[in-house]
Amino acid sequence: MTDATLEGWAPEIGSEISLEEVVDRAFDYRGNVTVVKGDGTETVGYLFNRNRDAPVPFVQMFDLAGAGPYTIPYFEIRAIRFTGRDTAAGKSYAAWLRAKEAAKAASEKDSGAAPSRGA
Amino acid sequence: MSVPLSQMWAVASYVIRQKLAGRDRYPLVLMLEPLFRCNLACAGCGKIQYPAQILKKHLTVEQCLAAVDECGAPVVSIPGGEPLMYPDIGRLVEALIARRKYVYLCTNAILLSEKLEAGLFRPSKYFSFSVHLDGLRAEHDEAVCRDGVYDDAVQGIKAALRRGFRVTTNSTLFDGVNPLRMREFFDEMMDLGVEGMMISPGYSYSKAPDQEHFLRTQRAHDLFSTMLASPKKRWRFNQSPLFLQFLMGRREFECTPWGNPTYNVFGWQRPCYLLQEGYAASFKELLETTRWENYGRRSGNDKCRDCMVHCGYEPTAVHHTFSSWRGFRDTVSATLTGRF
Repeated sequence: MTDATLEGWAPEIGSEISLEEVVDRAFDYRGNVTVVKGDGTETVGYLFNRNRDAPVPFVQMFDLAGAGPYTIPYFEIRAIRFTGRDTAAGKSYAAWLRAKEAAKAASEKDSGAAPSRGA
Repeated sequence: MSVPLSQMWAVASYVIRQKLAGRDRYPLVLMLEPLFRCNLACAGCGKIQYPAQILKKHLTVEQCLAAVDECGAPVVSIPGGEPLMYPDIGRLVEALIARRKYVYLCTNAILLSEKLEAGLFRPSKYFSFSVHLDGLRAEHDEAVCRDGVYDDAVQGIKAALRRGFRVTTNSTLFDGVNPLRMREFFDEMMDLGVEGMMISPGYSYSKAPDQEHFLRTQRAHDLFSTMLASPKKRWRFNQSPLFLQFLMGRREFECTPWGNPTYNVFGWQRPCYLLQEGYAASFKELLETTRWENYGRRSGNDKCRDCMVHCGYEPTAVHHTFSSWRGFRDTVSATLTGRF
């Protein structure tokens, strides 16, 4: 996995990407998002569910306090901004291995630098 | 094989009842995730990467029991997250035992000694700790991205066994696993006195940070064939021998994604424990509205192509056991001889 993230993304629905695609990206995103409705009101939180096969397609969210779920029909959504930190980004296995190697090297360096008895 | 006879009978009679009732889709094991919070952050795990308000959430015991009752599966597995961090875990386990569900509490065991000391649980034939161990000390600590966890887990296992609890282990294996070291691991677990071991290849969660080390099908067959070749008689596996044969490439199975349904703070997860493609409000809705034809190897779904994980294929193996005399004979034969 790369460290590429959608954090900070604010797509223009309609011209560059469809609402359905943005909802799918928001559903996959492991951070909070801001959903802007047609009337200008905003809901900030974690978008955990979406169902485009339902008679009235909808998304579901828990807000920042964990309250919910709040159900918002697709037709009410004007925009989705990826405003929260991406909790899946920057935590690669390779990074952990690098940190472990670095810690090991530092530890060896420390023990190597210590004067031996009688030195 | 090490599944107790009473548990085998409970599962067998349940499956036969489903067949007599003409049900094609029925659950065997409910994967009940009361919380996502965990005291580890393993590179192979995509379960814990959520914003803080989600990690703070947990199901109530009443929500858990309602899900258990609606689902009806004879076995309840409690993964997570780390279930020993769930504040009502003692009450939940008691209530499940009272319902005569066979409960596997899947834990990294870091908190196990402490919780046992606190008297949170009592031994029961219905209740087993399933301790997560992905190999011997070096391999496990690397898999969970923290040194010292293997030793904590072993201490927890010993403490649980001393108190008379059933203890099993569960191991998720990734590419690069040394099969000979795993054989040593099996020996070590048997020396410890665990009831049985569960093994499964890992799954490439789209959100798991470690994408490079998940096993592809042929490599998985090679690994499990080497690892389980001439199995020692003392090794006991807490799972279907037909599933192990499948892992070794000796059987062709198709996935049964509804076999181990998952319930968590978001609801009933579609379509399975591993893929997150949405949530249903009820188990009935999950069964009736999920497009099952889109999942499994035959569907052509890329996400399912290399998946050989226990939660999809072990239910298939159990179903196969009770679908024909041949399946039943093969299961009994492998169980009695310990050969796959």
